Amino acid sequence: MVDDPDARAGADAAHLGSCPECADRFKTFADDARSIASLLAVPEARVDIGRAFERVMSNRKSQPALVRFPILGPSTRPLTLGFVATIAAVAVLLVAFAAAGLFFKPTTVKAVPVTVADIQALSQLGDYGTITWTKEPQLQATTNAADASQAGGGLTVPKVADATLPSGLSKTVTYGAMSNAEATFTFSADKAAAAAAAHGTTLPKMPAGMDGATLTISVGPAVGEIYGDLQKPSSDTSSINLPQLIVAKSAAPTAKSTQVSVTDLENYILAQPGISKELKAAIQAIGDPSTTLLIPVPIEYATSTQVTVQGVDGVALGDNTGVGSGVVWVKDGYVYVVAGSIKRDDAVAIANNLN
Amino acid sequence: MSTARSDEAAFESLFKAEYARVVGIANRVLADPHEAEDVAQDVFVDFHRLHSATAQYAPAWLHRAAAHASLNRLRGARRRQKREVAQALEEGERILDPQKQLEVSEDRRHVREALARMAPKPAAALAMRASGLSYTEVAQALGVGTGQVGTLLRRAEATLRKEVTRGTSN
Repeated sequence: MVDDPDARAGADAAHLGSCPECADRFKTFADDARSIASLLAVPEARVDIGRAFERVMSNRKSQPALVRFPILGPSTRPLTLGFVATIAAVAVLLVAFAAAGLFFKPTTVKAVPVTVADIQALSQLGDYGTITWTKEPQLQATTNAADASQAGGGLTVPKVADATLPSGLSKTVTYGAMSNAEATFTFSADKAAAAAAAHGTTLPKMPAGMDGATLTISVGPAVGEIYGDLQKPSSDTSSINLPQLIVAKSAAPTAKSTQVSVTDLENYILAQPGISKELKAAIQAIGDPSTTLLIPVPIEYATSTQVTVQGVDGVALGDNTGVGSGVVWVKDGYVYVVAGSIKRDDAVAIANNLN
Repeated sequence: MSTARSDEAAFESLFKAEYARVVGIANRVLADPHEAEDVAQDVFVDFHRLHSATAQYAPAWLHRAAAHASLNRLRGARRRQKREVAQALEEGERILDPQKQLEVSEDRRHVREALARMAPKPAAALAMRASGLSYTEVAQALGVGTGQVGTLLRRAEATLRKEVTRGTSN
């Protein structure tokens, strides 16, 4: 498996030509690789592509879903925790800018596609002011649902129907709770100008009254349960070690702003350099931003479909490969999430049977 | 309508270009061409439902999904027996010596059991590379830099060797 040109490229190739020691070591690697290749050798599969194509096209399930994400080239960046943190930050910002004037309380969810460029553009918004926690979140892990409920302001931990759990799922369950938290972002014209100068970009004009305007976001309390051995270290540090299954319930987030209208805020954010046409179109297509929780879906890594969960609209993410999927919905003032390294159909079944 | 038609045409081109490679990856993991075709069919059905065939990431997505789906299937104990029977039949067409046939079948089973015990990423990297994908293609499918593939494969090979030894010495 070391016969690829990329196995010895550039300076490495030159060095191997002149260093007998490294050339010897490379030969050992190559011999090893050859023996592994022979271990994995199998008779080639003979395929009839024409018939296989007909079979796939006649499969009802292969019909395109309503929401599909084409778009961008593949990224060679690994999906790191930092990236996920950025997504979370973007989620907060999207919630923030959906704030309709003075108040935001979602009653439904909708997926919006975000590109890496969108994420970079939106992440910079954090430099346009200062964020302060007026109430910091307290996280607590417990061994039973009752304790989690107590720590989570009395919220009942959703109960998963055992029959819906995929086979092979860990029986180790950890419960958790988060207290209500509140953060305030204060816009600053000076900070925005300095951030833009540092990035070498020119900013759209800040609307009047935005300097000093505040946006207060409240999240939680929340409770949940995680299936899987959380102590087990991941053998693969370059990717996320998703818990096998996480089920959570949170009071729907709320947001309120001062000094600026939602239209001003929305126009200003969408005018930032780097925001994609796809994201602009998706945001502008949303009927009532004051009641819609936007789920940012990174189009290079995930896909989403609209599903009905517990009788309301929900967003299902991921696919049926079992690599990772999730379902998010809002009902009776609470946001629910079911996610993990499970198939999307299993996530939807668990969600629909949650008590 | 013309958009739908061009989308179908793009999917057909993608299918023709990638189907044999997707089956090849699954076959490398499962050592069973029939089951590998089942996996490939599922992968293409999932892809067609959720993605546009014109997406630049399409081949990378298909390769990764083929590796993960076949590794998941390999770990499913229920399939093992069926796989071994199919494997033996397939092999029977080429190897006439029953003793030799048994040895090949046994070796292949040990290797697949070892592969099933490995972490998904290195196992997928080995399967993809062994089925003929270039370093660049493996990198795109796994979302890593091309420069990391050599090291990833080296470690994966060492792990597989260790797992095979562990499996046969038990």
